[in-house]
Amino acid sequence: MVGITAYSAYVPRFRLERALISRAWGTAQSAGEIAVANYDEDALTMATEAALACITDGEVPALDGLYFASTSAPYREKQVASVVATACDLSRRTHSADFTGSVRAGVSALIAAVNAVRAGARTDVLVSAAETRLAAPESELEGLLGDAGAALRVGTDNVVAEVVDAAFVSEEFTHLWRTDSQRFLQAFPGKFSNTYGYANDLGEAIRSLLDARRLQPQAIAKLAVYAPDARAAADLAKELGFDPRKQLVSPAVGTIGSAGAADAFLALAAALDDAAPGDFIVVGAYGEGADALLLRVTDELPRRRARRPWKQWLDNKLLLSSYEKYLKFRRVIDLEEPGEAINNVLEFKELKQDIRLYGSGCEACGTVQFPIARVCIQCKARERLTDRKLRKQGTVFTFTIDHLIANVEHPLPMAVIDLEDGGRLYLQVTDFTESEVSIGAPVTLTFRRLHEGGGNHNYFWKARPLR
Amino acid sequence: MKDQVAVIGVGCTKFGDLFETSYEELICDAAFEAYADAGIDPREIDAAYLGTYLPGPSGGKAAVSLGDALRLYDRPITRVENYCATGTDAFRNGCLAIASGTYDIVLVLGAEKLKDRGGRGLPRLGHPLLAKGNSAPGLFALAANRYMHTFGMGRDVLAKVAVKNHYNGARNPKAHLRMEVTEEKVLNAPMIASPFGLFDCCPTTDGSAAAIICRADIAKRFRSDYVLVKGFGLAVTTGRPYFDPTFDYLGFRSTQMAAQQAYKMANASARDISFAEVHDCFTWTEVSNTEDLGFCAKGEGGKLAVEGRTSLSGDIPINPSGGLKSFGHPIGASGVRMIYECVKQLQGQCGERQVKNPKLGLAHNVGGPGAVSCVIVLGNN
Repeated sequence: MVGITAYSAYVPRFRLERALISRAWGTAQSAGEIAVANYDEDALTMATEAALACITDGEVPALDGLYFASTSAPYREKQVASVVATACDLSRRTHSADFTGSVRAGVSALIAAVNAVRAGARTDVLVSAAETRLAAPESELEGLLGDAGAALRVGTDNVVAEVVDAAFVSEEFTHLWRTDSQRFLQAFPGKFSNTYGYANDLGEAIRSLLDARRLQPQAIAKLAVYAPDARAAADLAKELGFDPRKQLVSPAVGTIGSAGAADAFLALAAALDDAAPGDFIVVGAYGEGADALLLRVTDELPRRRARRPWKQWLDNKLLLSSYEKYLKFRRVIDLEEPGEAINNVLEFKELKQDIRLYGSGCEACGTVQFPIARVCIQCKARERLTDRKLRKQGTVFTFTIDHLIANVEHPLPMAVIDLEDGGRLYLQVTDFTESEVSIGAPVTLTFRRLHEGGGNHNYFWKARPLR
Repeated sequence: MKDQVAVIGVGCTKFGDLFETSYEELICDAAFEAYADAGIDPREIDAAYLGTYLPGPSGGKAAVSLGDALRLYDRPITRVENYCATGTDAFRNGCLAIASGTYDIVLVLGAEKLKDRGGRGLPRLGHPLLAKGNSAPGLFALAANRYMHTFGMGRDVLAKVAVKNHYNGARNPKAHLRMEVTEEKVLNAPMIASPFGLFDCCPTTDGSAAAIICRADIAKRFRSDYVLVKGFGLAVTTGRPYFDPTFDYLGFRSTQMAAQQAYKMANASARDISFAEVHDCFTWTEVSNTEDLGFCAKGEGGKLAVEGRTSLSGDIPINPSGGLKSFGHPIGASGVRMIYECVKQLQGQCGERQVKNPKLGLAHNVGGPGAVSCVIVLGNN
């Protein structure tokens, strides 16, 4: 049986109230908020967070595939999947690939993973999707786009939802686009795109999926689909014969803003949090055509639900104090960002230590230490240290909240972290409120954009308070 | 010098494009070969001299690069940099140290990692681990917060240190900041790096100081009230305290070790010190220094300050000059400036801020934080 073996959403902690967008531009906005990635987050870091949530902390995962999907990757040239795979400490023999082009990319990657596992070419593939799509200030899209990520693990052991069937539609239809010289997402406005693009394509895919299996809409427990705006998915569900109130998973666009390629995964994650064994779930993605997947929940699900349910991701949030803060976080406002480029030779040499996050364990006295050393810091034993994978959970040994340090955001907490099972790190703290940074406070490590030195994004680990 | 120093072991790495070897590994490879060649235990090494010309992204800027690579702590290590003669000068310093009779066994090591610097060896390149850097108050604040958490000390105690040092500095014509402050003003100042507010931090300052020293047996030729160097000590601990799982963040072992060395050389103890110029880069640092130098037990430094015992009229006046708090910290100048104050106090020339009948004065620097400390004890002849 091939299917989903683990899943997790990732929603950044900050929210921009749509009312602040209205106040800035005088435009009409619906109520609620959009999720906003912190200044040190992007699609790569959020995909890493979501991926790590599908892996047991401290273990070297047996994964042999990692696919990244996004239309808003931080690089036009440079593979993101391999960075995510390295941060997750996956084997060098992992097959990694980036999927992009439209918001269908997430489900495209999922289908590729399912096919690879079905064919026996891969055994355990992580698919992680994330978006930080940018709308032009004052545009209609501005209140509709949100930042988030989600990951699905595909394999044959401990399947929580079997992938039963799939259906596809592919035909040119211009709804959302961004040319190679545009920074902001473009959309053809009005009802036309929803009716002749979204409802037409995704509707056909879902209908053909159900027809092939001779299933009526009533046989489906949950419809988990991408939605471009607040009404489109409900209209589609109704037209297909579903009851939107009971069967449609509330799309991200209504709660945190549409996270594009991650939308279908987020909806599936929300569905799996509540689903019961035997339930059918239809997953749908759209963009120059549509993909629909039929999943059946197994008996394993109740034992293997996400460590952190979708509802908690929605509830744990910090409101941005201003619209300007959002412009700053998303670099719509140009920032002077201090820092030197990370040296490529050093990064190569220290990859295992800095990105895979290994320290040394002393065979003589047992002390776990960081960075990797040749002489033990405790007992001074020489050449008795072996590489030790460090945990990503820890507690604050001491800290300061620094207002002076060079950074784009202030204040910046710096903390000395004692990791579970040993090792001590000195890290920036992010996604915090000041009251959460204290001696003894539990933190988890998170892979973030440390700075923008040397015309490149420079990634490293930070700590964030446990939420 | 003839026949006084011998080479007992040597080591050398391969030279070449060593992209897969770090600066610290080069140090280890050369040192371990030399340890084996000489048949010695590294604990027998009294002092070390590191010769590196260009500090690189992975180290070489200071002696801690050698200390951290070899875990060679609690003893003096010096980075020697002298352009193209760096390696030979490091060796020369090692020989001098032996000849002086201070040390028996010295490690001299030269290391250079030029290839990491890019094709032309010039671009400044960041380290992936610490590329973002940090701030000086932020580094000391890590210790202050842990200390205050452990001993239940409040910011009001820190404020008392600032008030005292500003009081002294206001009476020193050579100080940078010459105004008194109230505890309320200190506590209400903007935060710099918690728990340090603006008045918990020393200012940024330019300055210079000098001392002329000579053989004691000829000093009388110049003046009768000359001051003698009674003892000195220097100790290095890790430059990455934030990675050291054995560090308690309650004080600096380097200061404790440097003080022990200095007291031993001076055949004195902390009780014999009449006054001290200590490294108050931040108010908490002074509190901790008074403990690390042995003027009180660990955890009692706050009490020492609150009870007024470190004021000009107390039994152990600390920073009668006004300290770094009033003088700022032009880094190379600070230590010599402290020696200047010690000499003037011992000669009884400090007017309003004169300490009563001083016999022994102490000057102390600590940097890193905690990576290196030096203590000098001076006394009347």
